[in-house]
Amino acid sequence: MAAVAVPMRAEALSLFRSLLRTAKQFSDYNIREYTRRRAADAFRENRALTDAPATAAAAFAEGKKQLEVAKRQAVVYSLYAPKAKSVMELKVQ
Amino acid sequence: MALSRCLLPFFLGRRGPAVRALSTAAAPAAAAALEEDEESITVKGVSISGRPLYLDMQATTPVDPRVLDAMLPFNLSRYGNPHSRTHLYGWESDAAVEAARARVASLVGADPREIFFTSGATECNNIAVKGVMRFYRDRRRHVITTQTEHKCVLDSCRYLQQEGFEVTYLPVRSDGLVDLAQLEDAIRPDTGLVSVMAVNNEIGVVQPLEEIGRICKEKGVPFHTDAAQALGKIPIDVNRMGIGLMSLSGHKIYGPKGVGALYLRRRPRIRVEPQMSGGGQERGIRSGTVPTPLVVGFGAACEIAAQEMDYDHRRASALQQRLLDGIRAQVDEVVINGSMEHRYPGNLNLSFAYVEGESLLMGLKEVAVSSGSACTSASLEPSYVLRALGVEEDMAHTSIRFGIGRFTTEEEVDRAIELTVHQVKKLRDMSPLYEMAKAGIDLKSIEWSQH
Repeated sequence: MAAVAVPMRAEALSLFRSLLRTAKQFSDYNIREYTRRRAADAFRENRALTDAPATAAAAFAEGKKQLEVAKRQAVVYSLYAPKAKSVMELKVQ
Repeated sequence: MALSRCLLPFFLGRRGPAVRALSTAAAPAAAAALEEDEESITVKGVSISGRPLYLDMQATTPVDPRVLDAMLPFNLSRYGNPHSRTHLYGWESDAAVEAARARVASLVGADPREIFFTSGATECNNIAVKGVMRFYRDRRRHVITTQTEHKCVLDSCRYLQQEGFEVTYLPVRSDGLVDLAQLEDAIRPDTGLVSVMAVNNEIGVVQPLEEIGRICKEKGVPFHTDAAQALGKIPIDVNRMGIGLMSLSGHKIYGPKGVGALYLRRRPRIRVEPQMSGGGQERGIRSGTVPTPLVVGFGAACEIAAQEMDYDHRRASALQQRLLDGIRAQVDEVVINGSMEHRYPGNLNLSFAYVEGESLLMGLKEVAVSSGSACTSASLEPSYVLRALGVEEDMAHTSIRFGIGRFTTEEEVDRAIELTVHQVKKLRDMSPLYEMAKAGIDLKSIEWSQH
């Protein structure tokens, strides 16, 4: 596995989709929204990095690291999720 | 591996009794006071349909999942005491503490040797104020601080007054900023410390740290700042700002509660008398085992804050503007407490005229906000910070502090606007004072008859 290789577009998209999928697994409303939003904003910001291979590779590696953190934490948060959901998740009365 | 992870929630899932059986004995006792099921939560006779949306970031912040991820290993298998010199557990724990120290230092532009871990900003303020003055007690007898400081600073100063020191409590202007000319005049040859907080926890006002630092440097007085609310939110550079001592708190920057750090300048060296006696940990400044998991969490929080500061600041500004515009579009006579230009955008303290604060808060059960500050909320007095700003008593009683943070969403801000406006309108409909004010009567001219 080439860890420092410049990601192909397909790889970057796959990482983005994984991050969004993992975001959906968070039981906490705020963390879920933040993960989704932050991933989207980070990928949008770094879109311009296609002409800087070293920074692109670093950003991709950082993204993969964050994905691992998110996967672990999604499990931890679901283990201790409170029974009552946030008022933001309840149907509007 | 993936399969077992899928099944895990199933085994440990929403079967109430099964989950409770795994928790510690303390849980049932706490659960008795607070009943929670999938439909609603009942606490103190009040029933709410779900967990409130959290807009009280100045009281505390949620722990960032990335911080929790960094902390967990040190609560699981890497549980060594960082001061154990003879085995791997101690070495790995110590390495983690030193790595965290470097992260905290780099966020404020300091050297890692200048950072000392404590139990929080309150302890740091105690060490800074009492420790400095007691160390230099022979030559320095005077302390300067402001009227809007956090209670722990004011209380430490009061304690020093009992020991025979003199304290000047500088007033602030109506926008919350300290008057630099007054500060310069107040400095005497025997002044041992100037303590001005960087960002106020109640009103969010940012003091002019660089100017204050410059004045203190010219006069040769150590400058202490309580940066608990400022860390990771505004850029701090101890050298550019001439800071000699600084109090930092973990749980205000999405780190764990129970940890903080004191910055103590090496050049020129500022000495303090330690408040905690013991085995001489943290270079003798603060004895006691350094809590590795908490310190690692604090370090991780600082590292994340350094990376996310711009992004978070932009978001907080946009959300604050949204909140303010949304409320002002539907409700009049809303006053912002504190300067708008010199403000950290995540802290919005508003006063709603002709509305009573407690009843407003009681009606906002689905929004977690505060009025006054958590430290002074036990008493019935209006906040001393608002009083120092010159805010009238009735307006001070009706103040609400909205705290916006990294995890706040646009939808939460919109819902908060909706709920606040609804409640304010409801209370104003019932308020005879509002009726009279709208009719053009000047409330101050009324002679209330005594019965």
